Amino acid sequence: MDPSSPTLILDHVSKSFGDFKAVSDLSLQVKPGRVFGLIGPNGAGKTTTIRMIVNITAPDTGTIKLFGKSMTTALQDRIGYLPEERGLYRKMKVGEQLRFFAELKDLPGREADQRIDAWLKKLDLTSWKDKRAKDLSKGMQQKIQFIASVIHEPDLLILDEPFSGLDPVSVDLMKETILDQKTSGKTIILSTHQMEIAEKLCDDICMINKSRKVFDGQLREVRRSFAQNVVALRVEGADGLLNDPELITNVRQNGDDTEVLLTPDASPQVLLKRLVDANVKITKFELVEPTLHDIFVARVKETA
Amino acid sequence: MKKFFAVVKREYVQRVRTKFFVVATVLGPLLTVGFTVVPALMIGLKTGGPSRIAIVDQTGNMYQRVANEINDDEERPKPQPTAPTITPPGPAGARDRAQQTAKMVKADYALERVDLNGRSLEEVKTSLEARVSSRALDGYLILPPDLVKGGQPEFHARNTADMITKEQLQRSISQAVRSQRLVDNGIDEKKLDELSKPVHLKASGAAGEESKGDAGFFMVFGAAMLIYMSVLLYGQVVLGAVIEEKETRIAEILFSSMRSFPLMMGKLIGVSLVALTQLGIWAVTFLAISAWAAGSSLSMPHISPFIFICFAVFFLMGFFIYATVYAVVGSMVTTTQEGGQLAMPVVLFLIAALFVSFNIIRSPNSPLAFWASMFPFFAPITMLVRVVTETPPLWQILLSLGIGFTTAVGLIWLASRIYRVGMLMTGKKATLPEVWRWVRQS
Repeated sequence: MDPSSPTLILDHVSKSFGDFKAVSDLSLQVKPGRVFGLIGPNGAGKTTTIRMIVNITAPDTGTIKLFGKSMTTALQDRIGYLPEERGLYRKMKVGEQLRFFAELKDLPGREADQRIDAWLKKLDLTSWKDKRAKDLSKGMQQKIQFIASVIHEPDLLILDEPFSGLDPVSVDLMKETILDQKTSGKTIILSTHQMEIAEKLCDDICMINKSRKVFDGQLREVRRSFAQNVVALRVEGADGLLNDPELITNVRQNGDDTEVLLTPDASPQVLLKRLVDANVKITKFELVEPTLHDIFVARVKETA
Repeated sequence: MKKFFAVVKREYVQRVRTKFFVVATVLGPLLTVGFTVVPALMIGLKTGGPSRIAIVDQTGNMYQRVANEINDDEERPKPQPTAPTITPPGPAGARDRAQQTAKMVKADYALERVDLNGRSLEEVKTSLEARVSSRALDGYLILPPDLVKGGQPEFHARNTADMITKEQLQRSISQAVRSQRLVDNGIDEKKLDELSKPVHLKASGAAGEESKGDAGFFMVFGAAMLIYMSVLLYGQVVLGAVIEEKETRIAEILFSSMRSFPLMMGKLIGVSLVALTQLGIWAVTFLAISAWAAGSSLSMPHISPFIFICFAVFFLMGFFIYATVYAVVGSMVTTTQEGGQLAMPVVLFLIAALFVSFNIIRSPNSPLAFWASMFPFFAPITMLVRVVTETPPLWQILLSLGIGFTTAVGLIWLASRIYRVGMLMTGKKATLPEVWRWVRQS
């Protein structure tokens, strides 16, 4: 297979449940070796999209191609999936549980045992191998579930809200582990409603809202095309300087910061000069890159 | 297939290793024994030793006869007339055993003869009454002088609610009176015993073969009980197994790895193997104990291998059909409690099958019998009834098996579809129309 051809292609895919349209006319491509963010608010259709990709449910119309082929049970073994709704067999020992999930992915027993030990060691859970799942904390359970999704070294890893419910230390560990997977050549689909996380991890994104795609593309490109003229300020005594409509279209308070939206052609330099000339005490002057959240809100408004 | 076996293995190993399984395996037979033997013992058991009964004999010659009847009374063919006071040794081994039982029964009563000796009946009554109230006696019986001519005996006891004793006394006195009347009418005592020998009906099949009847009925009702018990016990387990992934939210991972049909099948087979393991342990223990108890002379009921095979196969079929019903129910609900209620009406089928089989025993080749033995929910019992009564043609047996196992597989298929779609509609219990839509849609 051509290494640059997309790992996953969705072509005009739709899915409804009764009268409810969960996904309408969604097309997207996931390129190999990259982190693809599927982003949108709760109920946008992310989970339904993923369920169609992993062959839990079939699309009403449209086609899905994985590794260039239509979905089969054998292809399922090349996907690792961490669902948003997570669970473990409560009374089953951690080691046996992982072994079972490995068997479900057609991984031979001996190899599974070695990998289980390696992963448990990596995530600092070795001493819990013979404990029952119900004795583990929620964060630990989540790590076990993550191991279950990568134990068979899938080519495509799909993580649905992988950070929800984790403490900050675990979040960092998880991020690191995900990036490790990327480095070793895996393709990763990351579904989340937390845009800040997507911003830090994703190479490409697809934003969906109310079952429809809002926009997609490389994160860098998306940002550039959205470059707004925003400056975050922390100043004292600038009253009256921020209401020149030639220069400034909007001012809003964001915590300690004052966010100033400049007119599209205006240069931030001009604003800075004015502040300095007026002898205003400046503790912060920063050009703000648009956040995914801003882009999302703006785009949703546009399409509405 | 590998994934299917992984599911089977998990269901089996995880369950067999639980404490619940071990405890149930040990306690099961104990409870069964407890529920069958203990009540029998309780009825037979006279707490506080034998009933002490005084008999006031005003006839002068009836005491011995009545006492013998009371001591011998049992609803069994009497082996031999027993001479007063002592039991003569019976001729054959079988009789020994019967008399051993008789001895045990005898121990239930300690009889005492009271003569008037010139006192008035009232005096004697007062003194006996005193002994009864001081608990030196449990009761006394008064035989009137005209007992044989229709006089009414009286029984006074502390516990007048003791039906068993009352019944037994009444029967014994009647027997004694009847014998006395016959002797009074000139029938020789020896002749009397000969004449009152009971008759035993020996039934045999049309072709002259010995009747399969007794053993057969035990098998049929044994099978019905076995299916009923194992369905009640393990239906819940199947239900739990199906709901487990919904409750723990593992279903999504499973469905992203395998199809739902082998998953459901794997669960059912896994749990069934657990059930069969348990039943197997019980069966072996039971056989071992009965072999040990019977010593060398183990008299297995005479059952042909064909009937035995039918028993095994139809038991399996019955178990699977009803277990799959629990699987279907499990696929529709979200908690075990809900499921138990929903599955209950289905178990009623099993009871209905028992009622139908009463009719089938009498006419095993009627159209009703035929259709009842083809209906998959009745077949495990009704077809077995037909096999032991008047064996139907082989094609009917095979057809019944075919229908039954196809039904089981069909139900599993249904369960897997409902489960798959139901899982996506998380959180609520499905209504029947919804379920129907899911089945068509997935």
